[in-house]
Amino acid sequence: MSELVVTDLVAGYGDAKVLHGLSLTVGPGEICAILGPNGAGKTTLLRALSGMVRGRGSVRLGGTELTGRSPDAIARRGVAHVPEGRGTFMPLTVEENLRLGAYVRRGRTGVEADLDRIYTYFPALKPRLRQAAGSLSGGEQQMLAIGRALMLRPRLLLLDEPSLGLAPLVTRELFRIVRAINEQERTTVVVVEQNAHLALGIAQQAHVLETGRIVLSGTAERIRADEQVAQSYLGYRV
Amino acid sequence: MAGFLQQVVEGLGAGAIYAGLALALVLIYQFTGIVNFAQGELAMFSTYLAWQLTAAGLPFWLALVVTLVVSFAGGMLIERVIIRPVEGAPELTVVIVTVGLFIFVNAAAGWIWSFTIKDFPNPFPEGAFRAGGVSVGYSTLGILGVVAVVMGLLYLLFQHTKIGLGMRAVASSPQSARLVGIRVGWTLALGWGLAATVGAVSGVLVAPLLFLDPNLMGGVLIYAFAAATLGGFDSPLGAVVGGLVVGVAETLAGAYVGFIGSDLKIGVPLVIILGVLLLRPQGLFGRAVVERV
Ligand SMILES: Nc1ncnc2c1ncn2[C@@H]1O[C@H](COP(=O)(O)OP(=O)(O)O)[C@@H](O)[C@H]1O
Ligand SMILES: [Mg+2]
Repeated sequence: MSELVVTDLVAGYGDAKVLHGLSLTVGPGEICAILGPNGAGKTTLLRALSGMVRGRGSVRLGGTELTGRSPDAIARRGVAHVPEGRGTFMPLTVEENLRLGAYVRRGRTGVEADLDRIYTYFPALKPRLRQAAGSLSGGEQQMLAIGRALMLRPRLLLLDEPSLGLAPLVTRELFRIVRAINEQERTTVVVVEQNAHLALGIAQQAHVLETGRIVLSGTAERIRADEQVAQSYLGYRV
Repeated sequence: MAGFLQQVVEGLGAGAIYAGLALALVLIYQFTGIVNFAQGELAMFSTYLAWQLTAAGLPFWLALVVTLVVSFAGGMLIERVIIRPVEGAPELTVVIVTVGLFIFVNAAAGWIWSFTIKDFPNPFPEGAFRAGGVSVGYSTLGILGVVAVVMGLLYLLFQHTKIGLGMRAVASSPQSARLVGIRVGWTLALGWGLAATVGAVSGVLVAPLLFLDPNLMGGVLIYAFAAATLGGFDSPLGAVVGGLVVGVAETLAGAYVGFIGSDLKIGVPLVIILGVLLLRPQGLFGRAVVERV
């Protein structure tokens, strides 16, 4: 059975509809890439999944309906959203940012161990624990944002353009870590990315979005292999 | 020299009271960006409540505890019922709502307790502690002590509890706070509750020095504004330091600047507000607002 089932999702801002009845499924432990040009509605899709924008239709996670719930209620059901812009709590320390990720978890058990686990994924964060998060570099802030999301022990991890503003080397490292996290924790991941090549490199499934509709779906391999697709939708030659 | 020190001590005593109300203003501003013009009136109302309880025969400290608990609940209730509907509305709308609350609470206190002044019991002993020609009233010491304790408790709350961490997260970014599962609405209400409680403390501290009437906090509010502006509207520590500085500045100006005397002292906070806004708008301890794109 699929972990995430989205059916006829309609969402937008006020009267302006951005997603026009979008359906997709993601299997448990899978990485699903959402590709498409600027303004296609990728960010809006993630926002609808985490409750930041209200949607109609149905979003089910592990059989539970999420539509209509508030973001904090959805977070409590195990959805961790790393938003566009990373959502760092700038004046707070790195450690406080990470602990906030575990805010809705009951009890302290496991939180300390999970902090250590985050430092093994992102060793660069460890020496900066007491530093204000705002003083980190862009790449470090993206690591912090993913680390914060992991502190929830999420069922579903939503990543919005993790590569934005980062150097290619840093981006590749980041995607390698996301892959490692997905393999070790069996976390289901939906990743939105402009850099289609990178995203398709770690995903099993991919969907291409255009003006709020899915125009193409398939395995990552197939989409990567399809030269015409690559040219018309993804804007690069393979 | 002793005379000068004496003035400084008096100033610190007055300043601690301004600091208390400034702290309440800052607590709300931090979370919501709202300047609560009704903060002083809420404090006045709480002070009446304490007076009513002692008049009914409750021991002072018990009356105080009951007052603080009721103020906390009242602050939360006001946020839920009156502020929540205008959350996210243009700044002017919110300002008008808090000014309306100011007028309403003031009138309500007058209606319930009348505008005739009342004697408020002083919780601290008479007399003073003398050292080297300077005398420090026990009540001044008491006020400074209470404000220090309030500051300490807030520090513990914010730095060493999970709820406090959540509150700071909301102050930093409500959107991100929602995404980690914090109930932002309740956190804002909590902020209002805390502010009402801290305000109540400042009202109870100032009432024995003046007399209790519905306009008790009007003057104090202006000094508290000056204190919060000076310290930085988003810094609790700044509010306290600002309060003490404003208190000392006001007292010294009254004593040493010939033409000011006691009548023109109210000009001091206004000059401070203007000066800070011109020279360092974010205040001494505040964070400058930088828009990141
Ligand atoms: N906060 C917002 N309010 C109103 N319109 C928005 C908002 N955010 C995005 N939009 C609009 O929604 C559409 C899709 O945007 P978005 O989901 O950010 O696309 P993408 O992430 O694929 O670049 C765009 O036309 C954009 O202008
Ligand atoms: Mg986007």
